[in-house]
Amino acid sequence: MELKINKLSKTYGNGVKALQDITLEIGTGMFGLLGPNGAGKSSLMRTIATLQEPDTGSITLGDIDVLTQKEEVRKILGYLPQEFGVYPKVSAEILLDHLAVLKGVRQRKQRKELVEALLHKTNLWEARKKNLGGYSGGMKQRFGIAQALLSDPKLIIVDEPTAGLDPAERNRFLNLLSELGENTVVILSTHIVEDVKELCTDMAIINKGQVVLKGNPLETIDSINGRVWRKTIHKEELDEYRGQYQVISDRLIAGKPEIHVYAESQPGEGFDPVEADLEDVYFQKIFGHQGAAVPA
Amino acid sequence: MWYEILKFELQYRKKRPGTFIYFGIMFLVAFLAISTDAVQIGGGAGLVKENAPATIAFMMAIISAFFMMITSAIMGVGVLRDFEHQTESIMFVNPITKMDYLLGRFLGSFLVLLFVFTGALLGFILGEFMPWREADKLLPFQLWHYLQPFLFLVVPNLIFSGILFFIIGALSRKMVVVYASWILLFVLYQIAGAMTAELEDKDMAAILDPFALTAIQMTTQYWTVAEQNSMVIPMEGSMLINRILWMGIGIAVAIIGYFSFSFTVVRKSIFKKKLKASEEKANTQMALPKVQFFHDFATSLAQIRTLSIFYYKQVFKSVPFIAMAGFGIITLIINSFYIGEVFGTFTYPTTYRMLELIGGFNLFFLIILVSYTGELIWKEREARINLIFDSIPMSDAIALISKFFGLILVFMTLMLVLIGTGVLIQTFNGYYKYELGIYFAELYTDVLFNLVLFSLLSFFIQVMVNNKFLGYALMVLFFITSAVLSNWGVEHTMFQFASGNLGTYSDMNGYGHFIPGFSWLNLYWFGLASLLFAISIVFAVRGSEAIIKTRWRVGKLRLTKPLLTFAIAGIAVFFLSGFYVYYNTNVLSTYRNSEQQNAQRADYEKALKQYEYLQQPLIDRVSMHVELYPYERDYQAEGTYYLLNAHQEPISQVHIQLNPEETHTYDYVRFDREATVDETYDEFRYYIYTLQEPLAPGDSMRFEFKSMYQTKGFGQSSSSTDVVFNGSFFNNSHFPAIGYQADYELSDDDDREDNDLEPKDRALPQDDPRGLARNMFSDDAIGGIDFDITIGTSADQIAIAPGYLQKEWEENGRRYYQYKMDKRIEPFFNIVSAKYSVMEDKMTIPLDSGATKDISLEIYYHEGHEYNLESMMKSMKESFAYFSSNFSPYQYRQMRILEFPRYASFAQSFANTVPFSEGIGFVLKIEEEDDVDVAYYVTAHELAHQWWGHQIIGANVQGNTMLIESLAQYGALMVMKQAYPQEHMQDFLEQELDRYLSGRAGEQKKELPLYLVENQQYIHYGKGAVVMYALQDYIGEDKVNAALSKFIADWRDPKQAGRYPTSSDLITYFREVAPDSMQYLISDLFEKIVLFENKTEKAEYSSLADGTYALNLTVDSKKFEADSLGNTEPVAFSEWIDIGVYTESSSGKDSLIYLQKHKVSDGENVFKIPLDAKPSKAGIDPLNILIDRNPDDNRKSASEVDLNS
Repeated sequence: MELKINKLSKTYGNGVKALQDITLEIGTGMFGLLGPNGAGKSSLMRTIATLQEPDTGSITLGDIDVLTQKEEVRKILGYLPQEFGVYPKVSAEILLDHLAVLKGVRQRKQRKELVEALLHKTNLWEARKKNLGGYSGGMKQRFGIAQALLSDPKLIIVDEPTAGLDPAERNRFLNLLSELGENTVVILSTHIVEDVKELCTDMAIINKGQVVLKGNPLETIDSINGRVWRKTIHKEELDEYRGQYQVISDRLIAGKPEIHVYAESQPGEGFDPVEADLEDVYFQKIFGHQGAAVPA
Repeated sequence: MWYEILKFELQYRKKRPGTFIYFGIMFLVAFLAISTDAVQIGGGAGLVKENAPATIAFMMAIISAFFMMITSAIMGVGVLRDFEHQTESIMFVNPITKMDYLLGRFLGSFLVLLFVFTGALLGFILGEFMPWREADKLLPFQLWHYLQPFLFLVVPNLIFSGILFFIIGALSRKMVVVYASWILLFVLYQIAGAMTAELEDKDMAAILDPFALTAIQMTTQYWTVAEQNSMVIPMEGSMLINRILWMGIGIAVAIIGYFSFSFTVVRKSIFKKKLKASEEKANTQMALPKVQFFHDFATSLAQIRTLSIFYYKQVFKSVPFIAMAGFGIITLIINSFYIGEVFGTFTYPTTYRMLELIGGFNLFFLIILVSYTGELIWKEREARINLIFDSIPMSDAIALISKFFGLILVFMTLMLVLIGTGVLIQTFNGYYKYELGIYFAELYTDVLFNLVLFSLLSFFIQVMVNNKFLGYALMVLFFITSAVLSNWGVEHTMFQFASGNLGTYSDMNGYGHFIPGFSWLNLYWFGLASLLFAISIVFAVRGSEAIIKTRWRVGKLRLTKPLLTFAIAGIAVFFLSGFYVYYNTNVLSTYRNSEQQNAQRADYEKALKQYEYLQQPLIDRVSMHVELYPYERDYQAEGTYYLLNAHQEPISQVHIQLNPEETHTYDYVRFDREATVDETYDEFRYYIYTLQEPLAPGDSMRFEFKSMYQTKGFGQSSSSTDVVFNGSFFNNSHFPAIGYQADYELSDDDDREDNDLEPKDRALPQDDPRGLARNMFSDDAIGGIDFDITIGTSADQIAIAPGYLQKEWEENGRRYYQYKMDKRIEPFFNIVSAKYSVMEDKMTIPLDSGATKDISLEIYYHEGHEYNLESMMKSMKESFAYFSSNFSPYQYRQMRILEFPRYASFAQSFANTVPFSEGIGFVLKIEEEDDVDVAYYVTAHELAHQWWGHQIIGANVQGNTMLIESLAQYGALMVMKQAYPQEHMQDFLEQELDRYLSGRAGEQKKELPLYLVENQQYIHYGKGAVVMYALQDYIGEDKVNAALSKFIADWRDPKQAGRYPTSSDLITYFREVAPDSMQYLISDLFEKIVLFENKTEKAEYSSLADGTYALNLTVDSKKFEADSLGNTEPVAFSEWIDIGVYTESSSGKDSLIYLQKHKVSDGENVFKIPLDAKPSKAGIDPLNILIDRNPDDNRKSASEVDLNS
């Protein structure tokens, strides 16, 4: 099954162009959707999840026209929205059971097995009788994935699932995701590059509603390998470097800024080559363009 | 520091649109209320000016009470904002003290609140100057009339409620709890309202009402027009106590709140459950089992079931719901102490009474409905689980359907609770005839259907506007608009949403003929509501699209076959049932709204008033045959009137007034001689016939008619209840009449003005010869009619009319009764038919001649209503005995009391026949101990009418009803006086005094002295009873009776007297029997409006050595004379007034040990009274014989002092 997104555009009432002519083909396996906050990831995900209408364009999932055959999509959809709440005074077990009925698991015994299995799988078994109001962020996210898996989905959409999780929770969560079947289309949106690098076989970077890059993470890394340079500088010099080079990222290492610069060849003194990673690709795609306009 | 917080609060609020929207609402409502009829809040009537200070005060208090919601919003938000926006941690880490924080926020919010409510003040003031105000309905502008109530009523209300909401918000940290608490205040107000039904509880009620509305009502209840127009509400008595009490409670709440408020972010919760974590470890490697997914119809049903139950539980668990429902039920229980009260007597808690009581819960149903339709629509979005929920493979209609079912389930459960409450109340009152069928029939049809319709409407509005609070506001607006439209003449049931009405339940007639109309109207509205619901499903928000255009784009996809079918079915049902309803309301019968009805009556007057005093023949004899078909609600009547020319001139033109209602049709209308219709007023069914051969003076002729009364269709829900399945009751107004009928004229002066008619005099002056020549039933002094009638009815019913039963037979499966009266009766007769049980008895009365006469006494009652038959029978015997020996012998040989359904609540006296409503005497619960026995009293009153109204009938001039009603009151009082102890009389007179004093406060034109009464009920019943009782108290019962007896003898035959008697005639008989010293009293009682303010200042006694006691009584006495507007002047006087002393008996009850008339002058009077027993209470006019504006302070507890020192 393949998800085809064709020339999808959406402009909000306030004039914000959330999606601009997005075309993507997503096959089975993990697909990473990378982009900064406000890039349009959630809009795209919601649109795929039948919850939002594009102005133009089409989406098909196999034979299903996502925009008109919403019901068919929902039957095979598992969706974990970016931000979601729960009924605070209901336990995970009860709410899952409730949602399972709604998703069409009509036989009580099967439902019980399914809910129990999901609680085990998401490591919520111990806390299954606890009211959801008392769940920590990570537990809540795991509950979110549990409910997304209720319907034995063929299309799983998880929107920024790792935001705000501590490293241990994040690992647990990603492990859970990675186990999802091979026959499934899984779309993972995130602004955390590591998530994609660790899990996805295919990815796209979107920014300001547009797809700026698509491809296999490793291949994209290869495509810039040897063109990323690193230098530790003084804080005051940052602006100056930005003016001169195509700085794709800066971060503090032991209190001193270290900049990564994109350049075809050694940009200058003090720059060391670095092994490019996905983050460099990401930053290069997001921020790199402005820098490129500046003559190096 | 608190000042900084205050400043910040004001700055913040200045930028909030809410502040100005609230201000605008206040301004607009006040402005519209005072300057137009569109919004009506309180407001005086008749002669009370539109800007009378009492009116303004009441309106202001109402506004401050009913906009509690705004108060709670403003004050609650002030303290809750930090919690709602979760900025409390940012706030609380600042270096401010709890005091700074709370005080600053409170004062800031309160200033905003004050600002908002000055909107109302400005609206009222500005409204006064609008050019369309009519100057003659306004007083000159007086700023104080607006400021005084604002300062003393509105501001204290705001302080108290503001503190309460603020503190509740601070402590609960939840807005819903704040909202719920205004319902609590509202409940207190309702309870206070219910308590005012009981005279003794009125002061308590005035104090208990937190808004002081009840206190205003109690303060102004006896204010005359003049006083309402001139006096501001004085801050004294219970009003003052009320204000101090609630301000005090406010301050106490503030102090408690301050100390309980915890200035930290995390609160200790008392209710936190400690959950033991499960011991088992999760197996994260577990494989997911394969399960089957169903996406078929059965799944949809399962989804609906699960979700409905889920929503149902969610509503039931929520705190505001519990609060609303709880308060509603508490109100119900408290109101149950005051149900169905008549003269301080309670009716049995029959099921329909319980249902009336439960009707009070409807308001709570509506509050819950409006709130929870909004809550449920927003349920997922507020929990932010909406995206998950919306992507579930569930058909689009299911969420809405389940929300609807969930809510309806809530209502149905609440109804069970209400029924349980009703049954419990019945049980506690010792009443065990639970008619569960009726409970269910009414709640689960009438009430439930209404809730279903309004729920569907509210869901629709909530979905379409997609903003919870806007949705609430629109629903409220919808209710207001419906009411306003109905005021403007849009009254038709097809335009009033959810207008199906099951009508009044009567034990006799059940829900009778109301069911078809009720069912069709519900179907009609349900059709529309279904369509709205289908539209809601199409537009319901699913996902994150809120713009209506996009929703329509998605919605089009939802127009599946089932939904389209449903919507089309809705339209079809709406239109088809609409056609049928229209056919019933407008084709089978002509629909007219009240304005059109008024216009028609005005046209009648304009066209035909010229004939009012035309010389016409009189009805001398009526002979009728009526075939009644109760179950079809039809009858046929054939009648013959013998018309007599009692005038000096021949009559050639006869004016016939047929019943103008279109339910009546006529087969023929004819004379025994040639006559041609000269003029036709078809729209009024008024016809002028010219007789070919004029009717010579003294001659008579026959007039014959055959009419059909047919009930076609169900018409408007307010249609006639004259002819019903069981308990038909109608009178001769159904049949043709001769000449112009002044009864059809509009009586309300405002209505008349709207229709370009001059104000109408309520009665002719006493010297008008036209009035003296006729009475209220007939046009001339010929002394009544001969009467016979045959009535056929269905085999299971008994039909009754005046006269004695001549024959009774069965024919063609129907029952026939023939009645004939052997004496002339007034041309006023009734026809009654119902399934009756009969109680019979008889008695013997002495005649003038020394012989005796047997009278048979019968009560025709509905089986099961046996409660008070004995008492009614006793009353009949004692009344006839008293009246026959003191006034004149009873003129007939039989008396029948006939129960009729409670569509009306009165009893009426026809010749030897008294129809008596099931609502007023048959199910009253009489506990000898402390109740006025209403069944006994009403029976005595109606029987007295056999004398006053049937033996004596007054001229149709001012004072007419004194001869009928005041004397019937007197008769009843004298019979009761023999049967009951003094205290009962006092209770009864207190009620009548209250009726008089409150009645005069609402006078529309002018108050008149009793002898000139113009059919004013508060005067001829209320004042009449008190005055007549005082008269016999002062000059003696024997003498009054002697005067009445002579009056009857002299005036019984108006033919002989040449005219009908007036009240002035009667007064001359009273003057004859009264001593010279009492002539002033007769003037005071009958010819003037005199009021007293008697008060006991001090009652002190000392014990004497010989075991006796000496009482020193200081009383203050004032006497006033009032004019027709209620302007009073004090009068100097020196009169005989009762001084009474009570002692406490061993049983703890006070009994009179001393009662004597003393000479009392205006001002302070001191009396020294030697007593043999220890006094407990003493006072002036202790039995409330005189008309006293303040009857409660006449008695005072006596205290012991050493009088020698």
